[in-house]
Amino acid sequence: MKRSWYASPYALWMVLFTVVPLLFVCWYAFTTPSGAFTLDNFSKIAQPMYLLVLWDSLRLALYCTALCLLIGYPTAYFLASRDFSRAQSLVVLIIVPMWMNFLLRTYAMMTLLEDNGVLNTLMRAMGLPGMKMIGTEGAVVLGMVYNYLPFMVLPIYTVLKKMDYSVIEAAQDLGCNPLQVVSRVVLPMSIPGVVSGITMVFMPAVTTFSISRLLSSGMVYLVGDMIEDYFISMNNRNVGSSISLVMLVLIILSIGFLRKVDPDSEGGGLW
Amino acid sequence: MVRTHRAKALKGAYLALVLAFLYIPIVIMIALSFNKSVSRAEWTGFTLDWYAKLFQSKQIMAALRVTLEVAVLATAVSTVIGTLGAIGMQAMNTGMANVLVNMSYLPMTTPDIVTGVSLMLMFVFTKVPMGKWTMLMAHIAFDTPYVLFSVMPKLRQMNPNLYEAALDLGCSPLQALYKVILPEISPGIVTGALLAFTMSLDDFVISYFTSNTDQNLAMIVYSAARRGVEPTMYALSTLMFVAIMALLLAVNRRSGLENI
Amino acid sequence: MVQDMRLIELKGVCKSFGDTEVLHDVDLYIRKCEFITLLGPSGCGKTTLLRIIGGFEMPTSGEVLFEGKDMTGIPPHKRRINTVFQKYALFNHLNVYDNIAFGLNLKTPEQLGVKTKAEKKAEIERRVSRMLKLVKMEGYEKRSTNALSGGQQQRIAIARALVNEPEVLLLDEPLGALDLKLRKEMQLELKAMQQQLGITFIYVTHDQEEALTMSDTIAVMNGGRVQQIGDPKRIYDEPKNAFVADFIGESNIIPGEMLEDDLVRFSDTEFQCVDEGFEKNEPVDVVIRPEDIMIVGEDVGMLTGTVQSVVFKGVHYEMIVISGQFKWKVQSTTMQPVGSRVGMTIVPYNIHIMHRTDMPNIPDNIYVPDGESREEA
Repeated sequence: MKRSWYASPYALWMVLFTVVPLLFVCWYAFTTPSGAFTLDNFSKIAQPMYLLVLWDSLRLALYCTALCLLIGYPTAYFLASRDFSRAQSLVVLIIVPMWMNFLLRTYAMMTLLEDNGVLNTLMRAMGLPGMKMIGTEGAVVLGMVYNYLPFMVLPIYTVLKKMDYSVIEAAQDLGCNPLQVVSRVVLPMSIPGVVSGITMVFMPAVTTFSISRLLSSGMVYLVGDMIEDYFISMNNRNVGSSISLVMLVLIILSIGFLRKVDPDSEGGGLW
Repeated sequence: MVRTHRAKALKGAYLALVLAFLYIPIVIMIALSFNKSVSRAEWTGFTLDWYAKLFQSKQIMAALRVTLEVAVLATAVSTVIGTLGAIGMQAMNTGMANVLVNMSYLPMTTPDIVTGVSLMLMFVFTKVPMGKWTMLMAHIAFDTPYVLFSVMPKLRQMNPNLYEAALDLGCSPLQALYKVILPEISPGIVTGALLAFTMSLDDFVISYFTSNTDQNLAMIVYSAARRGVEPTMYALSTLMFVAIMALLLAVNRRSGLENI
Repeated sequence: MVQDMRLIELKGVCKSFGDTEVLHDVDLYIRKCEFITLLGPSGCGKTTLLRIIGGFEMPTSGEVLFEGKDMTGIPPHKRRINTVFQKYALFNHLNVYDNIAFGLNLKTPEQLGVKTKAEKKAEIERRVSRMLKLVKMEGYEKRSTNALSGGQQQRIAIARALVNEPEVLLLDEPLGALDLKLRKEMQLELKAMQQQLGITFIYVTHDQEEALTMSDTIAVMNGGRVQQIGDPKRIYDEPKNAFVADFIGESNIIPGEMLEDDLVRFSDTEFQCVDEGFEKNEPVDVVIRPEDIMIVGEDVGMLTGTVQSVVFKGVHYEMIVISGQFKWKVQSTTMQPVGSRVGMTIVPYNIHIMHRTDMPNIPDNIYVPDGESREEA
């Protein structure tokens, strides 16, 4: 038996449980519940109400990505700098929450933000008026940032750490002041890490349904929530499939776009 | 010199803030799992009642069983087919191997929710009853690429002449596989298996869409959370946190965390 | 007069990393336009010394003068020095052209001797293409640095440094990663470039042959100290101590004692030599190059011995001759069969006497007493 045949169970499984299901999504998206071909599912989701949900998802995911980049880049940069002898253990500390179930992390956030939660209790104890936090977009974005920040830090850190230090010395040698070292060498060379960080934050952020559900008790309604509703409570799988398909295409396009920005690299990604 | 000291202190303060942001919610949650009061607002004394309640809950114990069964089986199956897949792909011509590698990236790039609904559609269409068995199928599908991508680099590092040397010394191809190749790549296999186990334990979204009758722990957390905060869930969260940490330590021992 | 020519001067430079002292009280001056090589085994402190000159490390104590002015605290980007790094350190987010233009882009138009931004661009283009020509890489402007071979990357790294017209170019084992043939080629090219441009090159290497080929001056370093400094011929012919003798070229290093001026005894035999100023009966190290030992008939040799092994080395044969307690390495164009008895003579001029120093780094195979290891002797 040829050695390449060892891969056949794998190939079979991947086709059966990855490719075929995606074909089902396409099939359902273009049919009526009775199985006839239709484009109605798409024209339905082109209505303003649906587009608004899509827009909100993109908007909040962008806020979240921008915040993660803003907080995460300096974090990664400081960790990769040679200033901290124990940077290695600090990095582990950043990674650890990443492996905690995101529902648990969101649950922890809920505890802080609730009307009778830890933050409001503290504020009242200090004589400040309580604040409505659960249910606001701010709470959802905060929850997303809390969940996804490590996914931004790690790839950027990996790229910065792998960077040959003599490249920085070369820049100094050629006349860069410390600011120019960052803007002309460090930043451009870390683009692969930034790209993969953005991908890893934006993608789950734009498709989340549980974070918005738990931190807004339904007040903030995102694409993920809509898909969940169509499949679980409304049982309209055709429209649900068309929304899923549109989202999948959008995501593949944006990944393609990011790859364009940084063509020759798989980045300092997680795998 | 003074300036670099101050810069270093500022950097340290910044990192401390980021870590505080990441850990304070978790620490509070763990603390509250030992709080007598149901309220999050006050500390009324230490208790293990919530843990006791947790273990008395039939629903939660059933979910624990489902979670573990699915994770163990999914890990076993995905480790075998993932490892074989990596070995087979190495022997393939590049064109074919590229197709397979790209296919393996598919479940990693597809958003979980889309993977979840796509599998759900297939199970609904084929009228397979959705319970822990369908959940298992789905878990194998998303676990296997992790095994594949843990094993492939080890195979690539391996001296390509090793296999030929084994054949040259009289091994049959099958003997060469388990006497030479498998021992050589075993660190990758173990890492892949641990990774698969962790991913499986941790999964919520895909399980949520592929199982109706059986719930895993993450699904319990979700449905409980939708009803509002409940201290038993803090206890459950704390235990799951500890379990994942223990697993991660095991993985870390093998590979160093950043390599994951 | 000599004072005027000093471009860089190091005074009492020490450098420690934690508890490890890497450089110990180094005094050294570098003249304008010379090609000086810091030569030594790995860990001898040569790279650290180079990095201190480049401004990448601060000396723990001591000072570095540039044209007589202290530049100890000045950061690298403000020094008129450029560096060619060991592993090239090219910016792989930029193409070949932008790598070379990197330093020039940071300058103002005035610094480049032009007025407007457009003129600056043209000036940079002119200088970059001149550099590409110098390093023989015309036509590679738009290439990605990742697509270049090691030798080509090396050339770009050199061009990137030289285009800034530094007064001093630092080179940290720049040819270490290249294969032998390419290395020999680059050695000659580097030397030619240095002469053509008329600037100072400070070159770090552990390869003594490379150092002898290229340098005007060699500073041999070991254990964080400069062991000897001088022109290549002098260092080869008159090594100051056993370490230098051993590190530069091949040597037989034999313990002996100085009986009186111009008379030394080693291997139980008295020899005429040309060294004076030692104390009576002072123990010394005697250094004799393998090519300076002449094989003669057994009856006329100053020393006699048995040929233990013969290796053909192309131009000559290299033989190990056991005489008394010592193994002598001898190079000769005529071959003596293994086991034959031979005589050896050495002319006084070729016997080099050195003060005995503790040199733990000297390889053991230099004078192994017959059949036993050195420790047991």
